[in-house]
Amino acid sequence: MTSKTTASLMAICVACAAGAITGTALAQTDQTPPAQTGAGAAAAVSGDAQQPAADPTAGAAAPAAPQEEDLEVVEQGGKLVLPNGQDITPDHMENGRWYTTEGIPTFKIAEDGTIDYAAFSGYRRYSAECHVCHGPDGEGSTYAPALKNSVLKLDYYEFQEIVASGKQEVNTAANLVMPAFGTNRNVWCYIDDIYVYLLARGAGDLPRGRPAKKESKSDEFAAQEDSCMSG
Amino acid sequence: MKKLMNSACLALLLSGVPALANDSVLAEIAKPEQWAIQTGDYANTRYSTLDKINKDNVKDLRVAWTFSTGVLRGHEGSPLVIGDIMYVHTPFPNNVYALDLNDNGKILWRYQPQQDPNVIAVMCCDTVNRGVAYADGLILLHQADTTLVALDAKTGEVKWSVKTGDPAIGETNTATVMPVKDKVIVGVSGGEYGVRGRVTAYSLADGKEVWKAWSTGPDEELLVDPEKTTHLGKPVGKDSSLSSWEGDQWKIGGGTTWGWYSYDPELNLIYYGTGNPSTWNPAQRPGDNKWSMTIMARDADTGVARWFYQMTPHDEWDYDGVNEMILTNQTIDGQERKLLTHFDRNGLAYTLDRESGELLVAEKYDPAVNWTTGVDMDPNSETYGRPAVVAEYSTDQNGEDTNTTGVCPAALGTKDQQPAAFSPKTNLFYVPTNHVCMDYEPFRVAYSAGQPYVGATLSMYPAPNSHGGMGNFIAWDNVKGEIKWSIPEQFSVWSGALATAGNVVFYGTLEGYLKAVDAETGDELYKFKTPSGVIGNIMTYEHGGKQYIGVLSGVGGWAGIGLAAGLTNPNDGLGAVGGYASLSQYTELGGQLTVFELPG
Repeated sequence: MTSKTTASLMAICVACAAGAITGTALAQTDQTPPAQTGAGAAAAVSGDAQQPAADPTAGAAAPAAPQEEDLEVVEQGGKLVLPNGQDITPDHMENGRWYTTEGIPTFKIAEDGTIDYAAFSGYRRYSAECHVCHGPDGEGSTYAPALKNSVLKLDYYEFQEIVASGKQEVNTAANLVMPAFGTNRNVWCYIDDIYVYLLARGAGDLPRGRPAKKESKSDEFAAQEDSCMSG
Repeated sequence: MKKLMNSACLALLLSGVPALANDSVLAEIAKPEQWAIQTGDYANTRYSTLDKINKDNVKDLRVAWTFSTGVLRGHEGSPLVIGDIMYVHTPFPNNVYALDLNDNGKILWRYQPQQDPNVIAVMCCDTVNRGVAYADGLILLHQADTTLVALDAKTGEVKWSVKTGDPAIGETNTATVMPVKDKVIVGVSGGEYGVRGRVTAYSLADGKEVWKAWSTGPDEELLVDPEKTTHLGKPVGKDSSLSSWEGDQWKIGGGTTWGWYSYDPELNLIYYGTGNPSTWNPAQRPGDNKWSMTIMARDADTGVARWFYQMTPHDEWDYDGVNEMILTNQTIDGQERKLLTHFDRNGLAYTLDRESGELLVAEKYDPAVNWTTGVDMDPNSETYGRPAVVAEYSTDQNGEDTNTTGVCPAALGTKDQQPAAFSPKTNLFYVPTNHVCMDYEPFRVAYSAGQPYVGATLSMYPAPNSHGGMGNFIAWDNVKGEIKWSIPEQFSVWSGALATAGNVVFYGTLEGYLKAVDAETGDELYKFKTPSGVIGNIMTYEHGGKQYIGVLSGVGGWAGIGLAAGLTNPNDGLGAVGGYASLSQYTELGGQLTVFELPG
């Protein structure tokens, strides 16, 4: 059962400092043409990381204010909505993963804290692939942003785009470079799992550390995992 | 003998005869007022004979001057001092500054390499660099993108440069290099990217490759002699590496070489350790995975291996064997021995005979270490030299997709690269340590070139049932294999130690303190909070008749990843998380050199 929760975003100063830099830059990609952000502005690693893919939710999303305290999940008309307007209420399951009515992956946590398997899978893959830069539990490091916060600001498609293509912010003040993971099966076969895990962390429903209780892996999930990893 | 050689070399230098690099490095190291090599000396003792700052007056230490490096991110290593010039390096973009000690640190020259920032993306665990080296009037910098560049020490002019690896397949560099004779010894990072480790010797004159010794693969590429290269006194035999892997896994098998290097001029052997086998999922690489996790002794001229000792066969916890090898001459059982002492990530401190590779002592240097009951020390045993693995903590025996809990130490080891110091006055080693344990769950992972190749999920937390902190600074007796004293620290001690003839030992903390303690007792004598967390190594030098202590601040590195947000113990149960200190409550990013002096 998800609940309306405020993520405690200011608790981690060092991580937030790195996060804030990138967070602001991300907000600017929505609002300011790259040319106006100066020579040191973030440059895409490859392709169009700064151009959010066309999608139904992006247009509806109010640009997130960079103030961290505004980042909370709110309940609107019985739905759980991110600060960017994206609904994260689980509606139906497909191939062992939960989706919203709009077909966006999301997480589901039962009354007793049992987490859906995809979100658990996301915990595992995050901790192997993302943790060495972004810190444990999506909390950020001394130089890479706290992704549990980033997913509250970005929508699903922007998140995918950045993971696929990477992101750079290299200037006199920062040397932040994220690689492109689009061809890495260890990441890409689990990209939705990582996303919903971080959503669960950011929404405040999932505490730090290894999730204590999880659903078991469904046959559909296993079949899809096998086909993706051997593909 | 060493003294004789040094003065002979010095005479050579003074008479204007071109000397071999070996001689120039030995000559510069022999001047106690300098800090001519990152490790203090070829033996990696990090000991200085300077004693103007001593245990009685160190309490009066004060800041003499500071220098901002202009770079954030983690600052490892330390400056060098050669003559009247101090050489300061930075993390990526790996700038180098030459500061004039005769003119208040005026910048004589700066070197600012242009590197493709994409290399940052394949650097596991921050963009640290452990400093420059000096030989024959050259400053040697091994950049993040594996460009090795030789700069004129007086002008900063590039004399030559050579590419030692390929970042497109995850090969990067964080280590310093070691000049030996007419060569410079170079390693490679990237064990988390399936990089195949090796050590390469380049000509100091022009950067041409002279020899290359791989950590895994066929004998001719390992540079071993199957009959003469030994492991615990016995020949390694034919195909020693290939027969310890399944299929072609050795080609992406790790064994990288990003740690410290030491050299014994009398034996003409270089010493270093190899890193973890790739991947972190042991089920994907059955066998002993030789020669990952191995102490190596190689001939400096040819690279051919004299002896190996594999500490952690078939690693299951990411206990890289790259930490420094400290070379000392000490008495064991009434006999003077040439020793090598090594504090491994796996939590065991090893003392070996560095001539023969005989294993003399292997003991835990943190009582929390639990994955092994100890090393088999019986030369007649089939498992001689192997650690006995405790089944409960074996991520291999527990298997893929099983979470193995409560393993001590964590993957960052009881000690990582942060180097220890040795004082011949006390015969003690001063060791910065981690006091952290972990849960480890290995799982299947696919390899793609230039992409992370990890295959395990880890949770780390302070060692349970202890003082609650994540580190200790200890004094170690390498002959008895015992801790003499231990100072609990709130965070991992990630700074290299310095021991001096003034009977003071210095180290830095992640909160940013420079600390001075009594070499005999460990009693704290002085501390000062620098602007950012210290992961650099403490150095000392003398200029104008005055002794100085220098340290780079700049939190980051693996410590900045794991500890920034604080650690949690998943085994404490729900609700207990977040109870541990987070580093972010104490310090912020920033690169600064702080130099200390006594008043007057």
